[in-house]
Amino acid sequence: MENVENIIISYDIDGTVIAGDPPGIITMDMIKRSKELGYIIGSASDRTITDQTQIWERNNIEMDFIVLKHTLPELVNKLKPRQGFHIGDTNMDEYYAKQSGLTFIDIINGDFKAFWEAILSKSF
Amino acid sequence: MDSRYQGGLERITMITDIDNSWKRDSDGLGVWEHRGKVAIAGFGHSPVDRRWDEVNLETTLGAYSLLACKQAVEDAGMSLDEIDGIVCCPTTISGDSGGSASNWAPRPYFDPPYDTEWGLTRVNAQWLIDNLGLKNVKFAPSAAPTISEMVGLASQAVGDGLCNNCLMIYPTGNMAGRYRRGGPNASDFAEGGNQWTAPWGNHGGNDFINIFPHQQYCRKYGGEHDDVAPFVINQHRNGLLTPWGFNYQNNIPQLTHDDYVSSRYILRPLRLWDCDRPVNAAGAYLFTTAERARDAKQTPVYVLNHSQHNFTFKTTQPTLDEIELWTDIAAKRMYEGSGLTAGEVDIFNPYDGYSIMAQFFLEGFQWHGVKRGDAFSFYADDIRVEGPHPLCSSGGNLGNGRTRTAMYTDSIEQLRGTAGARQVTTRAETALAAFTTPSSGGWIMLGKNPD
Repeated sequence: MENVENIIISYDIDGTVIAGDPPGIITMDMIKRSKELGYIIGSASDRTITDQTQIWERNNIEMDFIVLKHTLPELVNKLKPRQGFHIGDTNMDEYYAKQSGLTFIDIINGDFKAFWEAILSKSF
Repeated sequence: MDSRYQGGLERITMITDIDNSWKRDSDGLGVWEHRGKVAIAGFGHSPVDRRWDEVNLETTLGAYSLLACKQAVEDAGMSLDEIDGIVCCPTTISGDSGGSASNWAPRPYFDPPYDTEWGLTRVNAQWLIDNLGLKNVKFAPSAAPTISEMVGLASQAVGDGLCNNCLMIYPTGNMAGRYRRGGPNASDFAEGGNQWTAPWGNHGGNDFINIFPHQQYCRKYGGEHDDVAPFVINQHRNGLLTPWGFNYQNNIPQLTHDDYVSSRYILRPLRLWDCDRPVNAAGAYLFTTAERARDAKQTPVYVLNHSQHNFTFKTTQPTLDEIELWTDIAAKRMYEGSGLTAGEVDIFNPYDGYSIMAQFFLEGFQWHGVKRGDAFSFYADDIRVEGPHPLCSSGGNLGNGRTRTAMYTDSIEQLRGTAGARQVTTRAETALAAFTTPSSGGWIMLGKNPD
């Protein structure tokens, strides 16, 4: 797949992204790269919108969406993506990913490396 | 675990077995016999981390407990050699209902003093005695309870002459992925009594214990769950005025009304922000005689009364009627034992580990004249520290993390006049503080003056 238009990548923060508490393995450069590749990127966390926004502003990342985790279904319903992924570390991430029809990427127990290579090569 | 610190405590004569006779847990006890004769001379706080990172041995629960103890002694202007009593809750806050999930083991230990669980995930009196180099301890109960009762135990011990200068330490630990994740919480089965009381599994909290009466409360008195929002938001505001607390130290943005009402439900109607945030931290307090406190570095804060309670549920969940009765009893005991009335309590720091407990305490103690059913409208009034009704000036657990110490430290600071940006503008001569649920826990009354 070459065209990634209208494909969502949703990032949880705590335990998933390096700026999280605890820090996750996803770096800011990785997030920026996913944006450059044309994916619709954003964060879906239990942190407040203000808190999430401040993290991305501090790191000069322009997110396409910033939502509360439990509102992922509403977001997906609004954007109607062709395909989508939510990357997270807890069963709550899995729950809301599935509620939204997104593929849950388990950053702790899943094969994140393979997933990320697919993201970079745009081959799913 | 190292047997010295577990079953073998009795080998060290300073470790003391105690029963419950010290407690003030019944009605009609009259004014506390040591009222104004015991004081808090110092306190100390470690940094408040979200978790121990499992790497840095300078930020373990033990290291933080040592730090808090040293700060408390220094705050009082006393020396470690003067400490002859030590009371430390040996159970980790993260272990309750979690079995051994919060243990470091089975991973390999480190060099001493981190060669057992003690110091890493748990802290007790003996470990502190050894690692603080305390030479003169004669009172160190092995079965020290949680902070709500420990403040009473330390007060009573000093009052009874079991020791003169008693350090009381409350360590609260947290490691990634291990907070109460074992025992019944991890089981796919509801075994024993749980098959009747929690067939859906034990999630170990007051969340469901208090939700039922909270909803009864809303139906009986009117209002809805989100009427709690102003209280929660104000707790966060007060937390951001508390330099040692988690929110302050981590630049957590101020919670807004929109943040609160849009947050997800943990257990409907309980929202994310109605719950406190587990942390890795330790707090310590130095209790001493009123006489010694008057010669200490800080302005003494006198203990005017303490009481404990452990009420029995009639069924799996308490009802509103029960909770109102229990909080009425707790208030009566505290007012009787301190000789004070509701109108004479200036600082009111009840427990807020779940936001929906606070209304029951507020109304039970009738602080600032709040009667049953009035809490939500009181919350909607001005409860800021600058205002006329500075409820929970500490920010509590919700504003500072689940240390369970904020209520005590703020009360001391308010009476000393050292609360900084949180200093209330109203009178601050007496304070009530607690870690307690409506059914079990304890209260302490503090005073700027011993009389």
